[in-house]
Amino acid sequence: MSSETSSTLPSSTSRLQRHADWAVYAVFIVMVLGAPLVIDDVFWLNRIAKYLVFGMLGIAIALSWGYAGILNLGQGLFFGLGAYMTAMSLKLMSATSLQQGSDKPVPDFMLWNAEPGAVTDLCCINKGSFLWIPFQSQWFGMAMSIVIPLIVAFVLSSSIFRLRVSGVYVAIITLALVLLVRLLLIDAQPITNGFNGLTDLGWLTIGGFEFDPYMVETYYVVAVSLTVVLLLGRWLVSTRAGLILQSTRDDPTRARYLGYDVAAYQIFFFTISAGIAGFAGLLYVVAAEFASPSFMDIGFSISMVVWAAVGGRNSLLGACIGAILINTVEATVSETEIFKEAWKLIIGGIFVLVVLYLPNGLAGIARDLLGRFERRRKGTPAETAPKAAE
Amino acid sequence: MSDIIFIGLSLSSILLLIALGLSITYGAMGVINMAHGELVMIGAYTAVLAGLHLGLNLFFALPLAFVTSGLVGLVIERLVIRRLYGRIIDTLLATWGVAILLQQLIRLEFGLSFFGIHIDGLGPGLQNMTVPAFLTQPIDVAGMTIQPYRTFIIVVTLMLAGLTWWLMYRTPMGVQVRAIMRNPQIAAACGIDVRRVSALTFAYGSGLAGIAGVLLAGFKTVMPEMGASVVVDGFLVVVVGGVGSLLGTILAAGILGQINGIVALASNDIIARAVVFAVVIALILWRPRGLFSFKSR
Repeated sequence: MSSETSSTLPSSTSRLQRHADWAVYAVFIVMVLGAPLVIDDVFWLNRIAKYLVFGMLGIAIALSWGYAGILNLGQGLFFGLGAYMTAMSLKLMSATSLQQGSDKPVPDFMLWNAEPGAVTDLCCINKGSFLWIPFQSQWFGMAMSIVIPLIVAFVLSSSIFRLRVSGVYVAIITLALVLLVRLLLIDAQPITNGFNGLTDLGWLTIGGFEFDPYMVETYYVVAVSLTVVLLLGRWLVSTRAGLILQSTRDDPTRARYLGYDVAAYQIFFFTISAGIAGFAGLLYVVAAEFASPSFMDIGFSISMVVWAAVGGRNSLLGACIGAILINTVEATVSETEIFKEAWKLIIGGIFVLVVLYLPNGLAGIARDLLGRFERRRKGTPAETAPKAAE
Repeated sequence: MSDIIFIGLSLSSILLLIALGLSITYGAMGVINMAHGELVMIGAYTAVLAGLHLGLNLFFALPLAFVTSGLVGLVIERLVIRRLYGRIIDTLLATWGVAILLQQLIRLEFGLSFFGIHIDGLGPGLQNMTVPAFLTQPIDVAGMTIQPYRTFIIVVTLMLAGLTWWLMYRTPMGVQVRAIMRNPQIAAACGIDVRRVSALTFAYGSGLAGIAGVLLAGFKTVMPEMGASVVVDGFLVVVVGGVGSLLGTILAAGILGQINGIVALASNDIIARAVVFAVVIALILWRPRGLFSFKSR
């Protein structure tokens, strides 16, 4: 895959639009990084950190759905895998794993369910517990949070796209897969703690510094990660590979006849998107201190798509802002039970309306307004707006 | 051996019951209706409410639920789906929103709970439908115990499948539906009122969901979230069977139900469901058009 950068975006975006685009990116990044200066309530800061993680999921969705035209209804699989890998490491670091009558860390739930007389060591407390041994290293767990989703996504997307399965079938396969893994995860109770998930986690520790989730430093870990992912994603879609990817989305047959290996581009971006979701899972565990099978519920995976759709599926930043916005509003109105239920009603309605009338979401509105402003300034006849992707 | 087959058959019939409506709305119309589960849920609530407030039993609830869910389906078609024909992924997303709306309407008792009004049988809690006594007593036939309610479900499902087949292949309306399936533009050019036929087809598929809801209510707890878990199963059956193939849907429901039953017996329910998902994924990869898709272009 060529890494040759090209600054030429599709010709329908004008110079003004490009400048405005960068300005919005700059404002967003300044706001994300500057939030702790304005908000001094660590409780809210921790909440916002979680929503920034969801924003990262929005980016992952926009990358695969908006740019590659692949609707992945199982993004929760990669998020969940990422979360569990880090959570396993942090579980072994927590005090509850060390104070169970063994000098080596053993997760508390394994001890509760251990056969009488079993050796209280990770090697053999139950049949699968040896899988936990490498996770005693926090770095191993964190690396696996990204590597495992990458591998799973690569294998999955290779079989899907090499066999030229497309459109709604990809959505159904990914949906079935996330449900499948969720069931296996719950069934493997002895090593995953089943329905209860992994709780009581330790803190991420780097060089002796402990990242308490309710600390400004932890917020910055998430905020800086989001910024980096956002800019990398932005760069990736503007490369030659990114442009070819968009052409495969608009017309796979034509791209194939032009000599491009369509499947290779789809596999590459699907896998990258999964890696981002895995990374988001890692960060979520650091901020939220738990991992649960609910990350692999269908509802959660579809919610991610909702966030991206409301923010704008064709815009990485739009999808990211959509996720942050929806979750922040939800948290604000969910203080009272009755508003919480009413909010769900509203979000359902908003979603129907967005799909019907605003296929490009909030980012689409912004682009349209800018285009209108520009035309008025120039006095040129209406330029056709960038066409929406299916 | 025969009880294993019967367990599988009874699982199959439930799958088929849910998938039958979907094979119409998805198979024939290309609409991924994520609110299908909620139409099932509305059918179940119709049965609960009819029992509580009107004193009607299961047999009266069946047609009532067919009409209620059918009407709700008609409204959904008019307001949302009509604008989205041909945009299959968008139908999935929009109907997901509709599904949330319907769930919340039941949970909030159509908004009445804001005013402190409570209707028996609605709201966020769990509900039950009472099944007539003669359908709950196990019967012994030639040394085999037969669960009459399960048998009843199988019989009703087969009757509905037969009715659907008759409607699709033996009536003028069915001819029009199949013509629209193949090519809506040409169908319209031939003088078929595509909008009207599509709306009625969607309503019929929704009505079938309502009937499924009543039958499910006989052995499952009725609650606002009950639909979300069944809709995916239904889709998998339709996709495996082959989009637009009624026979394929029936056979796929049979196969997946049997696999589920046999694996559940050998290990446990969770693994059985996981195996079904794995089989479905493999089948879609192998034959994306479905096992029994005879449609050629």
